[in-house]
Amino acid sequence: MKSKKLLAGPYLFWSVSFIIIPLLMIFYYGLTDQDGAFTFANLAKITTPENLKALGLALLLSLISTLICLVMAYPLAMILASMNVNQTSFIVLIFILPMWMNFLLRTLAWQTLLEKNGVINSILSFFHLPQLAIINTPYAIILGMVYNFLPFMVLPIYNVLVKIDKDVINAARDLGANNRQTFFKIILPLTVPGIISGITMVFVPALTTFVISDLLGGSKILLIGNVIEQEFKQGSNWHVGSGLSLVLMIFIILSMALIAKYDKDGEGTAF
Amino acid sequence: MIKNTLQKIYLGLIFILLYAPIITLVVLSFNNSKTRAKWGGFTGKWYVALFQNEQIMNALYTTLIIALLSALIATLIGTAAAIGIQAMRKRVRTAMMAVTNIPMLNADIVTGISLMLLFIAFRFSLGFATILMAHITFNIPYVILSVMPKLKQTNRRTYEAALDLGASPIYAFFKVVFPDILPGVFSGFLLAFTMSLDDFVITHFTKGPGVDTLSTKIYSEVRKGIKPEMYALSTLLFVSVLILLILVNVSPSSKEGSTRKYVSKKSKAARFVFRRLVPAVMAIVIIAGGFFYGSKRSVSGDNQVIVYNWGEYLDPEVITIFEEETGISVVYEEYETNEIMYPKVQSGAIAYDVVCPSDYMIQRMIENDLLAEINFDHIPNIKNIGTQYMEQSRQFDAENKYSVPYCWGTVGILYNKKMVEEPIDSWSVLWDETYKDNILMQDSVRDAFAVALKYLGYSLNSTDLDELEAAKALLIEQKPLVQAYVIDQVRDKMIGNEAAIGVIYSGEAIYTQLENPDLEYVIPKEGSNVWIDSWVIPKNAKHKENAEAFINFLCRPDIAKMNFDYITYSTPNIEARKLIEDPAIRNSTIAFPDASELERCETFQFLGDENDVLYNELWREIKSK
Repeated sequence: MKSKKLLAGPYLFWSVSFIIIPLLMIFYYGLTDQDGAFTFANLAKITTPENLKALGLALLLSLISTLICLVMAYPLAMILASMNVNQTSFIVLIFILPMWMNFLLRTLAWQTLLEKNGVINSILSFFHLPQLAIINTPYAIILGMVYNFLPFMVLPIYNVLVKIDKDVINAARDLGANNRQTFFKIILPLTVPGIISGITMVFVPALTTFVISDLLGGSKILLIGNVIEQEFKQGSNWHVGSGLSLVLMIFIILSMALIAKYDKDGEGTAF
Repeated sequence: MIKNTLQKIYLGLIFILLYAPIITLVVLSFNNSKTRAKWGGFTGKWYVALFQNEQIMNALYTTLIIALLSALIATLIGTAAAIGIQAMRKRVRTAMMAVTNIPMLNADIVTGISLMLLFIAFRFSLGFATILMAHITFNIPYVILSVMPKLKQTNRRTYEAALDLGASPIYAFFKVVFPDILPGVFSGFLLAFTMSLDDFVITHFTKGPGVDTLSTKIYSEVRKGIKPEMYALSTLLFVSVLILLILVNVSPSSKEGSTRKYVSKKSKAARFVFRRLVPAVMAIVIIAGGFFYGSKRSVSGDNQVIVYNWGEYLDPEVITIFEEETGISVVYEEYETNEIMYPKVQSGAIAYDVVCPSDYMIQRMIENDLLAEINFDHIPNIKNIGTQYMEQSRQFDAENKYSVPYCWGTVGILYNKKMVEEPIDSWSVLWDETYKDNILMQDSVRDAFAVALKYLGYSLNSTDLDELEAAKALLIEQKPLVQAYVIDQVRDKMIGNEAAIGVIYSGEAIYTQLENPDLEYVIPKEGSNVWIDSWVIPKNAKHKENAEAFINFLCRPDIAKMNFDYITYSTPNIEARKLIEDPAIRNSTIAFPDASELERCETFQFLGDENDVLYNELWREIKSK
């Protein structure tokens, strides 16, 4: 058994070098100023009205998208889970398939679809329907988030759903539970690990994205991800950028805590 | 029955949502017009052009090889780690799994930045290797999380039984345990491959010069409009994966033919496809790509020049001619704004040989001692550059020692004559309520402030706090009227009639007029910005003489003319201007405005780091309002 543990050695080395140390670097940069002196000023930058607004908006948009994803994904996962296996495996793959088309191109394609003279509006005007004017607004950003992150909600929920023992459901029915009761008393509680895992897998990337807001928001709408990206790539103040990243990590730690609480055995993984 | 139909409708709607953008991209790949804003008829030419486009093919190859290598290495390390972790005590196991979860849960942007900080701190030069290491890092967790559940399902007794029967631990592992976890290993590999393929953010922060994956290539093209070859490539990639999947799933004997939900019995056909066909196809692609890549790179060696230029700011043909004539191989890298370029040169992480910043940024680089003096003995073609442009350069390069003018132009208003009633001659139109949601504004600090400052009658180099506050107030007032803040996307949007008015560089205006004759360009009467982009050589350049040869080459009239035709930005090369065939363009007032018009215009100056911070802060306040 001892020798087996050694197999984790390379990974231990790798994770210390490329996960732990880089994180410490962010802490170092985030807590020092440009002369290397210790400071909390970079963290405090989050309280400026502009940054607070960017954070608030990012939180709002990502919460809404997460909610929409959940509402859309749950029935979808149930439908997928109820199908026979051969078909299902194909359908699940269909969710991975779009990822082979580049993420940026997929998001850009929404620009073409949503623009004033874009595809959707051309179709709408053909049928004399009112025009859709959501490009360059927060709604377009929400659409982009839902579109990009929906698979990360569907897959974990689907994975826990198919693992539910059919006997448990049958037992509930034998004991006289109707559809509603079976769902709320049996299925829903059993899928909580998947739901929690799905929520974090959608919420965290949505909260921190800068690409989607850039491409679909017309650069008019600044999210916290945009602020951080600009600090690194344009304002070239890495210390402030790291400080703001540290603030973001609070939300990530919260998500990890949530998962640890509800999904102890790691059943709710997406993959 | 009704329930069934409803389910089908719901599934159908979701699929429309998921696949609408993909169909759009496929359609665009057959679009004859170069801009995505216009349907120019059906064509297959981009599929032909794709295979001649060296940059895209290189990016594709880099993407594939990084995906393959990172997935392979991650699978090795990850599978071994999963077995090791499984054997650990519960507490250690939990800790290890928590660490594993970090890259999965952490924001891409934080992971990318943290790795970039690490690489720079330890003086790794950013490039292929750093991207690979970053990808392995975020791939390992996917493998561990795929293998772990399979490991939990394996029966430890069978392994122990094998040992009792005299098998060595290694033999027992490969005969007993490994076949059981193989499906997990395989789906982990495939996931890692897909994730690596689709990543943009982490690559964005960890890549170096001359290395591009498809994602970063696309991102740098976003500002200028995506090249249609890119749509063609994506379509090809997508279709080939689709066919592969259909083959796997449709084969009648495959009951469990999926990469993710394995049950121990798998049909032979699926096994064959996954064990032989997929790796075979991948191997062929990689090897073919390797030959392709190798043939392109064979001339290289130490005799090279590393060029760092604006996106779409040089005819690729020019590079080919330069390489053929001189035998110097060109490593070409692009940036979107001066502000993105500056820290990269300043940090010294990458030794560029020749860079093309704008006026004020050159001044900043000179002041911060980042530039080397150019040896003009090596640049005899400097004689072709008009003296007025050398004079103008003295504003930022007082003794003409550090820079050679490349392109110049003005900033003005582009408007659509069909959508705007009266002719425009003033910045005031950008504050006109009638054009609400029809205005495109520049998404860069100095350009945006220049518009407001000029409109108010101030200098666009103002550092007076009151003047800047006034400009800020004006820009905030304008924000509800603005449709979008863009840089070069102004071009596509104006061509596609998406907006009535846009702030644009004169060079782009010429191109848009060719595509859409309704567009007209004007330098507002309050005055504007006149700018010069010039070639400079950073102090830490490793191939200074090659850089000078490159600059000299670009000053050759026929080459400067080729570049003008390609990028349509005004050339300071007087001899090149004489070569322009079309008199309408040769005498165009957009490309070559009268001196009287330029009198009202100013050149940007570097205002000092403190004022830079001030401008940036004010700009962020505007953007977040």
